[in-house]
Amino acid sequence: MFSNLIEQTRLAALALADFGGGLFNPTVRLGITGLSRAGKTVFITALVHGLVRGGRFPVFEAMSGGRIAGAQLAPQPDDAVPRFDYENHLKALIEDRQWPQSTRQISELRVVIDYQSQNGAMRQLTLDIVDYPGEWLLDLPLLNRSYEQWSAESLAQSREGLRARLAADWHAHLKTLDPSAPADETQAIEAARLFTAYLQACRDERTAMSLLPPGRFLMPGDMAGSPALTFAPLDLPEGAEPPHGSLWAMMRRRYDAYRDHVVRPFFREHFARLDRQIVLVDALSAFNAGPEAVQDLQAALVSILDCFNIGRSSLFSALFQPRTDRILFAATKADHLHHQGHDRLEAILTRMTERAIDKAGFAGAAVDVIALAAVRATREASVRGEGGDLPAIVGLAAKGEVVGGRTLDGETEIAVFPGDLPEDPSRVFDPEGNSFRGLAHGSAQDTDFRFVRFRPPALERTDDGVPALPHIRLDRALQFLIGDRLR
Amino acid sequence: MSPTARRPSAFSTDDPRVRIAPELVEEEELRLDAETGAPPPAIVTAPPRRRGIRWGALLWSAVTGLVMLALGVAVTNFVEDLFARSPWLGGVGLVLAVLAGLAVVALLVREVYGLMRLATIEGFRERAQETLASDDREAAQGLAKDLLALAKPMPRLARGRARLEGHLSDIIDGGDLVRLTERELMAPLDAEARRLVSAAASRVSVVTAVSPRAAVDMLFVLINTVTLIRRLAVLYGGRPGTLGVLKLLRQTVSHLAVTGGMAVTDSLVQQVIGHGVAARLSAKLGEGVLNGLLTARLGLLAIEQTRPLPFAALPRPSLNDIAGGLMRQVGRTEGRKAE
Repeated sequence: MFSNLIEQTRLAALALADFGGGLFNPTVRLGITGLSRAGKTVFITALVHGLVRGGRFPVFEAMSGGRIAGAQLAPQPDDAVPRFDYENHLKALIEDRQWPQSTRQISELRVVIDYQSQNGAMRQLTLDIVDYPGEWLLDLPLLNRSYEQWSAESLAQSREGLRARLAADWHAHLKTLDPSAPADETQAIEAARLFTAYLQACRDERTAMSLLPPGRFLMPGDMAGSPALTFAPLDLPEGAEPPHGSLWAMMRRRYDAYRDHVVRPFFREHFARLDRQIVLVDALSAFNAGPEAVQDLQAALVSILDCFNIGRSSLFSALFQPRTDRILFAATKADHLHHQGHDRLEAILTRMTERAIDKAGFAGAAVDVIALAAVRATREASVRGEGGDLPAIVGLAAKGEVVGGRTLDGETEIAVFPGDLPEDPSRVFDPEGNSFRGLAHGSAQDTDFRFVRFRPPALERTDDGVPALPHIRLDRALQFLIGDRLR
Repeated sequence: MSPTARRPSAFSTDDPRVRIAPELVEEEELRLDAETGAPPPAIVTAPPRRRGIRWGALLWSAVTGLVMLALGVAVTNFVEDLFARSPWLGGVGLVLAVLAGLAVVALLVREVYGLMRLATIEGFRERAQETLASDDREAAQGLAKDLLALAKPMPRLARGRARLEGHLSDIIDGGDLVRLTERELMAPLDAEARRLVSAAASRVSVVTAVSPRAAVDMLFVLINTVTLIRRLAVLYGGRPGTLGVLKLLRQTVSHLAVTGGMAVTDSLVQQVIGHGVAARLSAKLGEGVLNGLLTARLGLLAIEQTRPLPFAALPRPSLNDIAGGLMRQVGRTEGRKAE
């Protein structure tokens, strides 16, 4: 209770400082998140490149109307946070034609936009882009959960369906542990290792599970091996208290340390200060994997959205509790299917986030759902077949992709028809798990969807530097996220 | 999945079945080839049919038919008379009658074409409203192409047309595409329309302020309003004949009546200008300003009647935009009069 009060006071102090700065120098803190491999790095790189170099953004009114005079990168405000490595990511994307390395921790980048407002005044908008792994968001519910609660939930989850198979090793080790026995470091390390291995197995392409707290176990960053990351759920008796010096007590202490030293600072310093938020969702990978992955993704999204402190910002809330007033859900990699399928993809994502959207709409935040490709790697084509033309996409498939029984070398261009998404989004969420077949169910020949990864597009260089990156609806995302601040 | 679902499959790009050119571009080329400047007939939307017999229309049709018959008989008789008098006089009369008939037919065709064109533009507006609500990509593509065809003879839109054509093959959602089309094609026209309304309003207010007789004012206001509506319609791509202008005038005035002659935002201006300034100046001047404001409001309504797209992305011109210029204009005239 008391710590909660201190926390609120700290939040208010930070918010007050932000508000004071915002009066003289309008700033938007744009949070960019998504579970790993959702395409955060590519999104930020493309977004910054588009702003700084002037992209082809017809729907982004301020830019297409010519009101943006220019945008530059500027030193970021938080000195303790790593800078987003924009230059190297862009180089990888354009020169090497490789997707940039994924970021493993929080990073920041500041872009200053000079623009002319609609009534003619020259203005400046500072855009702080905060990039953080979506796995960290899954930790936020831990803030009000005790070790015992978390332990029971994790165990129950790991004994269900597909996960039970993946967790077999860990479960076997768990049986040998006695929570009341004296604490033993080697046992704790072994338990944490097996638990982490189970979480990682869930992330594999064939299963593509999403709901896997605690997030730092998968993305430890500089905390790898520290005691705060060396704990695991235990099979605990209900209602009992841990004996002094027992394994249980040690695990509980470490869980509390994780919560207080990892989760809480993240919430305070970054998450609670965001003005705008985009959540990138790689729904197509979940379709590749199977219905369980889709269900799991939905559960993860719902639990992420429960954390959002959503509501329209008013003077009062700007002073005392900053709130996110615009949230965009973007199904990324929309270039992996023909544009005829985009509406269905959006419908499915809307359905996944329905609960969260209702909640946010009620609290006054604007929410939108789009299908997006920050960098468009494919072109569209149609293939003549027996039952009419198939809408297909053409691109350079990534190295190591297996298509039609042969492994590609990353230099061949292929046309792919990835399968039709269902017209009725509810068909994807069949509770029986039989709605469609994915990689988790058997051979790659037998799946209902096959979304192939492609290499970044070849860009023709012009004399004055790098041309704009092709994209799908990045301009619409920008218009929704910051368009109203550039009026 | 149902058994009819299409299986995912992959093809080599050498495969003859694969056509890489996106179908959107092909379609666009086809349409541009077939395009001859006139709007495609398929988009002329029929006005909603009323049930039952329209007695008024029947009356007018019957009366017009009778008058035409009488006219025909009169002319025939007259030409016959001329023939009876002398053959060459009859010949001249016949030629003149035929010429008059031709001219009437040509005028009628032009009027009908103008009305159809107005209906087309109205249809555009309805389609745009629907597309903004439904966010349908195909409908927006079609609308954008039709508007490009409509805008083809407008030189001031060359740049906007080129940019919009470039974006047609991009993947843009329906609503966004309609807004983009509006920004690219309507912005220059809106500026010109605002100027036209403003000029007409200040003309009316000046003439009312200096004219000696109320009858003169009224005549001038009428002529000025009709000219304004006609010009606005031409500006936004319509080519209304007399009937078209009358139709627009009727729509505008009835719209004015429906809105009670006064929008909420206008009332403030009205209050300030009507009571404050005008009352302090001479009564005649106040009348001039009020007439000018009325013209301006009519003009603004006419813009909405003639514009092929609703105001979705661009700001709707308001009375305040125009009234400011009006006040300056009248002030200057008053100054000159005082000298």
